[in-house]
Amino acid sequence: MKRKGGWGRVQDGLVVLAAIVVLLPIVWIALAAFKTSVDVFELKLFFTPTLQNFATIFEPPYLIHQKLLNSAIVSICVVLISIPLATCAAYSFSRFRMRGERAMLVTILATQFVPAVVIVLPFFLMFRSLGMLDTRPALILVDTAIVMPFAVWMIKGFVDGIPLETEEAALVDGSTRLQVLRRVVLPMAAPGIITAAIFAFIISWNEFLFALILTRRDAVTLPVGLQLFNGQEGMQWHLLSAAGLLIMAPMIVLALLVQKHFVQGMTMGAVR
Amino acid sequence: MAQVILKDVEKTWASFVAVARQSLTVADGEFLVLLGPSGCGKTTTMRMVAGLEEPSGGEIWIGDRCVNNVMPKDRDIAMVFQNYGLYPHLTVGENIAYPLRVRGVNRTDREARVAEAARKVELGNLLHRRPRELSGGQRQRVALARAIVRTPAVFLMDEPLSNLDAKLRVTMRAEIKHLQAELGITTIYVTHDQIEAMTLAYRVAVMKNGVVQQIAPPAEVYDRPANLFVAGFIGSPPMNLITGNLVDGTFTAPGVALPGAGTGSRDGVVLGVRPECLSLCAPGDGHMAGTVFTTELTGEAVLVTAQVGPARVIARTERGFAEATGATVGLRADMRQLHLFDAESGLRLPEMASRLPELVPGE
Repeated sequence: MKRKGGWGRVQDGLVVLAAIVVLLPIVWIALAAFKTSVDVFELKLFFTPTLQNFATIFEPPYLIHQKLLNSAIVSICVVLISIPLATCAAYSFSRFRMRGERAMLVTILATQFVPAVVIVLPFFLMFRSLGMLDTRPALILVDTAIVMPFAVWMIKGFVDGIPLETEEAALVDGSTRLQVLRRVVLPMAAPGIITAAIFAFIISWNEFLFALILTRRDAVTLPVGLQLFNGQEGMQWHLLSAAGLLIMAPMIVLALLVQKHFVQGMTMGAVR
Repeated sequence: MAQVILKDVEKTWASFVAVARQSLTVADGEFLVLLGPSGCGKTTTMRMVAGLEEPSGGEIWIGDRCVNNVMPKDRDIAMVFQNYGLYPHLTVGENIAYPLRVRGVNRTDREARVAEAARKVELGNLLHRRPRELSGGQRQRVALARAIVRTPAVFLMDEPLSNLDAKLRVTMRAEIKHLQAELGITTIYVTHDQIEAMTLAYRVAVMKNGVVQQIAPPAEVYDRPANLFVAGFIGSPPMNLITGNLVDGTFTAPGVALPGAGTGSRDGVVLGVRPECLSLCAPGDGHMAGTVFTTELTGEAVLVTAQVGPARVIARTERGFAEATGATVGLRADMRQLHLFDAESGLRLPEMASRLPELVPGE
């Protein structure tokens, strides 16, 4: 290791500072989730922890488990629909030359540039006409549309990295096109596909704006459900924090998984 | 085992002709090498046989069926790729077993045949490794084992040795030749390396710009090149080519007077003489007069480059040669091994050649 000079120490300091800025709110929430409503407003590190908050949020009027179920169903469906579709699209974009291919790819990416606020009202009107307001399928549809472009681009990157020769070898070795996909392309692109799936899950799990506008009561998801804690008694920070931890839990698990696959994704495919 | 026939096959992309319309027959059990510089259409030709590229016209026959509309998997072929095309997510054993697995061969048969193929290429103890843990030579062996595990009708090899270092290339070359002879499977082998072509082939097809220039056994390609391209492409260092005129059987060019080189008179003739057929002699003697441009020691011989008129010629001489750069020397050509080409068309001029006995291959 190189010995660090003055600038190196400053850099270290900045990294620590950035970490504190990012982590402090999370620590605060983690603590607040176990505090009583009285303790919340004191910056005590030592207090008598209580699990009462977690019990309260599952009771009426909050019924947070319903929102949890909605979030889970929507997110899982989005992944199950978008990832196979995106994999097929990515493979086609990567391997087949077709008319207007570049234009299509850029258009797909360009949809990402449109601010969600701009299109949320048309979506609202559309789903109202279809009678799909406040339903999970509506959310699944919208979230899939949000997730697809990014999933296609991400998986395409991984498929691009698979040498064409490997596929041709499989063809000559006796595989059909479909067998090549299943036995060669899918396993080799797996790190990318898994990473895309995890990101798709995270995006749809955290999606707020569309869920806020398109749901009212039955299909409310967790991020929208947090508003319940901003009632007549003011902001109920202890309950909000408890629900917040519920939202974050799968994210933390998935983040760890993503990290593992990212590393694998970068070291794989380099067989020449 | 089968013969491969290309009937009037061509491949074009828009106006670009990758492989010009031509026919080619590879006999049953033959080792045919397609040789040429990059972009000459040799790989495209092979890929059409494999079914990875569709011919723009003509028919391809493997054995007694036309395979134009047959998928690669049903052509009964095996191919070794330049970058090996191994499956990185499978172990060496699984890689070799893949052609058997997709054909539904049962596990016990599969294991026995994988072990047999691995033994042939000396990979036995590496079956549980992954391709990325292997060296280039070992990966090449895996690709070979995967090709031979199923005894196909035809082997296709696309520059299989070009990613290996020079020393390994020589060893693997011998192994490929031995394997092919042992298995007796019709083989088409693509390379840009003329040494590989000369050492491996029963017949060499020299290609340029999508056209086969000459197709003949290595010795004949070397001793009787059909045109200037083949003459200059085969041999290292390449054949010396000097442009001049033929006057009453004497080849003349600046610094060169070679009586008996041919018969008759003709303008615009290129004389070809291989470095090993040129020897140095005292100034004023021999057929050419020149000055030493440079000398190179190759180990077993000394290559002398001499400036003769506007041309530079290379002669392979004894190790003892010790003339300084700039010294005047004479060069004598071996009269039995002269080649005459038409300067314009580049074609060999057999009717102009002298009546002296030609060196017969194997003599």
